[in-house]
Amino acid sequence: MPREAEISVNERAFIQEALKEQIRLDGRAFDAFRVLELTFGDEYGVADVQLGKTRVIARISVDVTAPLPERKFDGIFQIVTEFSPMASPAFEVGRPTDAEVILSRILEKAIRRSNALDTESLCIIAGLKCFALRADVHIIDHDGGLIDASCIAVMAALQHFRRPDVLVEGEKATVLGLREREPIPLSILHQPLCVTFSYFEEGEIFLVDANLAEEQVRKGQVIVTLNRHGEVCQIAKYGGATVDPLALLNCTNIALQNVKTISSYIQSRLEEDAKRRDAGGLMAELSAENPR
Amino acid sequence: MAPEAILSHLHRADGSATYTHNGYCVIGAVNGPIEVQRRDEMPEEATVEVNVRPAVGVGSPKERHLETLLHNTLRSIILTRSIPRTLVQITLQVRSLPEEEISTGVNTTLTLLPHILHTALLALLSASIPLSTVLTSTLIAIPSAPNARPATPLVSPTAPELLRAKPIRSVHVFAFAGDGRMLLNESDGVFSFEEWDEAAEAAEEVCCKEEGGVGLGEGVDVDGKEGTNLEIWLREVVKRKVELEQRWKSAR
Repeated sequence: MPREAEISVNERAFIQEALKEQIRLDGRAFDAFRVLELTFGDEYGVADVQLGKTRVIARISVDVTAPLPERKFDGIFQIVTEFSPMASPAFEVGRPTDAEVILSRILEKAIRRSNALDTESLCIIAGLKCFALRADVHIIDHDGGLIDASCIAVMAALQHFRRPDVLVEGEKATVLGLREREPIPLSILHQPLCVTFSYFEEGEIFLVDANLAEEQVRKGQVIVTLNRHGEVCQIAKYGGATVDPLALLNCTNIALQNVKTISSYIQSRLEEDAKRRDAGGLMAELSAENPR
Repeated sequence: MAPEAILSHLHRADGSATYTHNGYCVIGAVNGPIEVQRRDEMPEEATVEVNVRPAVGVGSPKERHLETLLHNTLRSIILTRSIPRTLVQITLQVRSLPEEEISTGVNTTLTLLPHILHTALLALLSASIPLSTVLTSTLIAIPSAPNARPATPLVSPTAPELLRAKPIRSVHVFAFAGDGRMLLNESDGVFSFEEWDEAAEAAEEVCCKEEGGVGLGEGVDVDGKEGTNLEIWLREVVKRKVELEQRWKSAR
């Protein structure tokens, strides 16, 4: 398997010199994201995220299984990330690279362990039956910023997904199909999003949403995950560069601004999609939700 | 309905294609010719590697089986001897399947196979890998007839059509080369030789009959156009690709 083509010395120097003069190669501000595009498919729970040239598809699927014996009242939620040679020939099937391991760890911490999804609501019959939710993250095109894009994709897909309704009569549970009963949205407690800061020049310059060339030049990265209310879910730092602790506070402030804009963008896209599906205003009649 | 194809839309891969037909959507990417690992290197021909990735979950024996079929078929059309000691890496990501797929009761490997073959071919074309010929492929389903008269085979049926025609007695996938020779045949179910013959003929009609072919539209005019066969569709796709690539030349 060929290795990832390393950036040449000239290119490296060019990027570094430009950054010293406060210029990014694509002309963005240091704290700006690339153009974000989010599209939903015809099915529920498929989110196609395009962040600049990076493209990630997240797909949520559901199954019914027995819950784990030590967690009888919880459903199962799993995030699966597997890189394929489609994104880059350096990714080999069945042999995870460091980037892949970091990506799955961060998503695990950011989304699963921060309790973004209420797993208790996935329980059907305590100890016997529960929903097993599965988020598959497919990396289609790779131009840096995989963690941010994947996190956006998974969160958007979770908010878009509708699980089938169940009818419980004592010990017997019937899963009602899409045609029998309007499927219900998942209960999402909060929406964490990741913002990656790349450090250059021993921590003096940092960039938001670095592309692949910038990622190859950087000294270190700090990944901050927070929701739009400003609650920090996790901070992870990789790479050798030293980072001033006070600069981290600054990072969370910048991240919060970005998370707020991305969150509202996701919300607006979800509403647009809901409007597209809601042909003739049938949704209000079909919904089983009680007015509160 | 003719399939839809978008070529060369990914930035990292050498060639890529997205193929949408009858509710199936597959994204294909080809990297090649690239450096090959020592253990896979062949002195006189290129190594072909096929990866099929399902929409949900990790690869299962079904995907491995598809990979084997694809590998054998594609290796026979790629001019592997003109690019020796290299690797042609083909990755196919299933993006979406029709909703009714699971309930049709037919082998899902076979229903997916023609779509995956087309995607792989389009991605190879997009990557400009030397090919000896192109291929077109289709699915034929023969429903079981209630009375003695033989059932009419369904040509390239959609998932709802299969569901309505249940129970299906046998399904066949045929792939034809550009010169009309049969490249691949996979059949599943109970069928007689006559039935197979009829299915093969129907498939050939859809894939590569020159004129007077029935075509995919089944005689129904789609957008005022006559139903075209798959080879004409493929020519159209390639024509658009070449036009796009040569636009620097034609611009004045």
